[in-house]
Amino acid sequence: MDFDFSSLLAFIMFGLTIGVVYGIVALGISLIYSGLDIVHFAHGEVYMFGAFFGLVFSSQMGLPYPLALLAAMISIGLLGIVIERVFYRRLTRSGGGYTVAGMGMIICGFGMSVVLQNIAFLIWGADAEPFPVDLGPALEVGDITLPRSYGLTAIIAVVLMAALHLFLKKTRTGLAVRAVAANKDIAFLMGINVPLMISVIFGLACALAAAAGTLIGPMQSVQVEMGYLMLMKAFAAAVVGGFGSLPGAIIGGLLVGIFENLGAAYISPNHKDIYAFLLLILVLMIRPSGLFGVEVRVKA
Amino acid sequence: MRDGLQATALSVASMFADGVGRLNRIHRLVPWMVVFVLLLPVPQLVTIGLSDYYVYLINKICIFILLTVGLNIVKGFCGQVTVGHVGLYAIGAVSSALLSIHLGLSFWVSFPLGVLLAGLAGIVVGLPSVRLEGAYLALATLGLGESVRIMIAVTPFLGSSTGLMLIPPPEIMGFVFDSFQSYYYLVMTAALVGLYLSFSLLRSATGRAFMAIREDVIAAGVHGINVPRHKLLAFVISALYAGAAGALFAHMPPGYIHHNNFTIIEMVTLLLMVVLGGIGHIWGGVIGAIVVTVIYDQTLEYYFYQPLMFGLSMVLLVMFMPQGIGGVIDRSISTRRFIALRQRREAAEGQDHGAA
Repeated sequence: MDFDFSSLLAFIMFGLTIGVVYGIVALGISLIYSGLDIVHFAHGEVYMFGAFFGLVFSSQMGLPYPLALLAAMISIGLLGIVIERVFYRRLTRSGGGYTVAGMGMIICGFGMSVVLQNIAFLIWGADAEPFPVDLGPALEVGDITLPRSYGLTAIIAVVLMAALHLFLKKTRTGLAVRAVAANKDIAFLMGINVPLMISVIFGLACALAAAAGTLIGPMQSVQVEMGYLMLMKAFAAAVVGGFGSLPGAIIGGLLVGIFENLGAAYISPNHKDIYAFLLLILVLMIRPSGLFGVEVRVKA
Repeated sequence: MRDGLQATALSVASMFADGVGRLNRIHRLVPWMVVFVLLLPVPQLVTIGLSDYYVYLINKICIFILLTVGLNIVKGFCGQVTVGHVGLYAIGAVSSALLSIHLGLSFWVSFPLGVLLAGLAGIVVGLPSVRLEGAYLALATLGLGESVRIMIAVTPFLGSSTGLMLIPPPEIMGFVFDSFQSYYYLVMTAALVGLYLSFSLLRSATGRAFMAIREDVIAAGVHGINVPRHKLLAFVISALYAGAAGALFAHMPPGYIHHNNFTIIEMVTLLLMVVLGGIGHIWGGVIGAIVVTVIYDQTLEYYFYQPLMFGLSMVLLVMFMPQGIGGVIDRSISTRRFIALRQRREAAEGQDHGAA
């Protein structure tokens, strides 16, 4: 294959835009992990629901795209809070992380993902649905032609990350969330409403996943099975960047996106979905704490 | 009334336990042989009342029993969360099938080779477990299991969309296991051997080391258990079980496997079996395999709602009955024993008082 620099650049650009979306989902997973010490196995399905909600809001109810995005984020955030309150609270109360309850939490999340996926299947069917959004003509960057939705995705993603950063660093609620993530007992003694903050964390994470789903809709079509692969890739992103580290999740997402697109371009497009797992396994074997994470702590 | 029923059940159970104990004293293998002989005429009995299809169902249950027993070793004994077990099952099935189709090897050669390959894959799946715990491990195994399925789905040599057809049935000295009835003897024997081996593993030093790791990794390490080695060993043993189940599945009479046999739904079914039976209860896994397979078969007409119900029951089980059927039975037996013991002691004390 003759080497073509501009096509390499194009692949990297595609990788970056899709990687930003992986990064947003990974951000949610990391947020839940740092707040509750659990890994949410149904997050891919939350993302899939977000994509469908975005589709419903924008195509069927005729809302403009940014409003549909916002509406999907809010409704999925509320859905996430409900799921957490009804199902997970019972399990997380008895401890998360590496305990036996942690194993229960993994199985519960796994079951929940099956439940959500099949509810979506019963509502929307198994077919891939197009997500038509008219955003204007394609962008020309040098010799590369990018669909406008790619540029928009990158911009919205950056705005979302900035908003999350500001929320966590500058507001009182954000401070409380960070306190809960650091230590629940001490946060409770300081007068923070820990259960409420846990709900806030969960709602935020689910809203981020919904945003990712609505963003990726116009690029690909929306279908019931999309959540599962996204879960794996977002996990890969979160692990590559270091679990629990928020900037790490974004950088991990970008890396996974580029890695995957270059693999698909230069090795074989059929195996595209495997490259993310390869990266995941590689990082787990060599440096389990990821690029930016702290060492995995084991409590006696 | 309920008390009387419970007492009867308890006395039956204790009589059963006594009988097993007596047989055990002759030789450890005797109860297993009795069970083997009792299970021999099952396909004939089933075909009298019902169709051949139910023999197929029983064969499937036997294969699932092998899988749950294997999963229980790594999950229940060693406390490692793995959700990629279906990948190992697929590796066993596909490798044994390919070896016998393309190289013309007989089942008795391709089966151990398939099991061995699954064991090697188990090392790969298990290697992360040496350094990872809990959720990380679940992720790594989920990724590996799904990668295996995608590899099968996109590689024509592994039977991508058409699946692998015409996998030859096993044959021994002219006797061909080509019907559900004859195949039953093969899978039933395999399931019993697998169960027996897992019980002896549980009794051995290795099994106790597994359980020590489950209870507390650090304490186990302090007591001189080689933790990484045992974690890896647990993975490899359970991979061998999965590979055996896969190879047996591949050679079962229709002789056909497809990558849809190894999806996440299969993994959910398998997990549900283990969770329903109780994590760490070998007999619980057997009960779970039977119950879930029968329910799955009986509700086939509600095909669309099946995965939903399975997922929901898994969530509810973890929330409200985390110890599973095996745990509930265990607890009720020990409570009844305790109550019986106390009543006997109180009666004895009463007599003492009477005498004084």
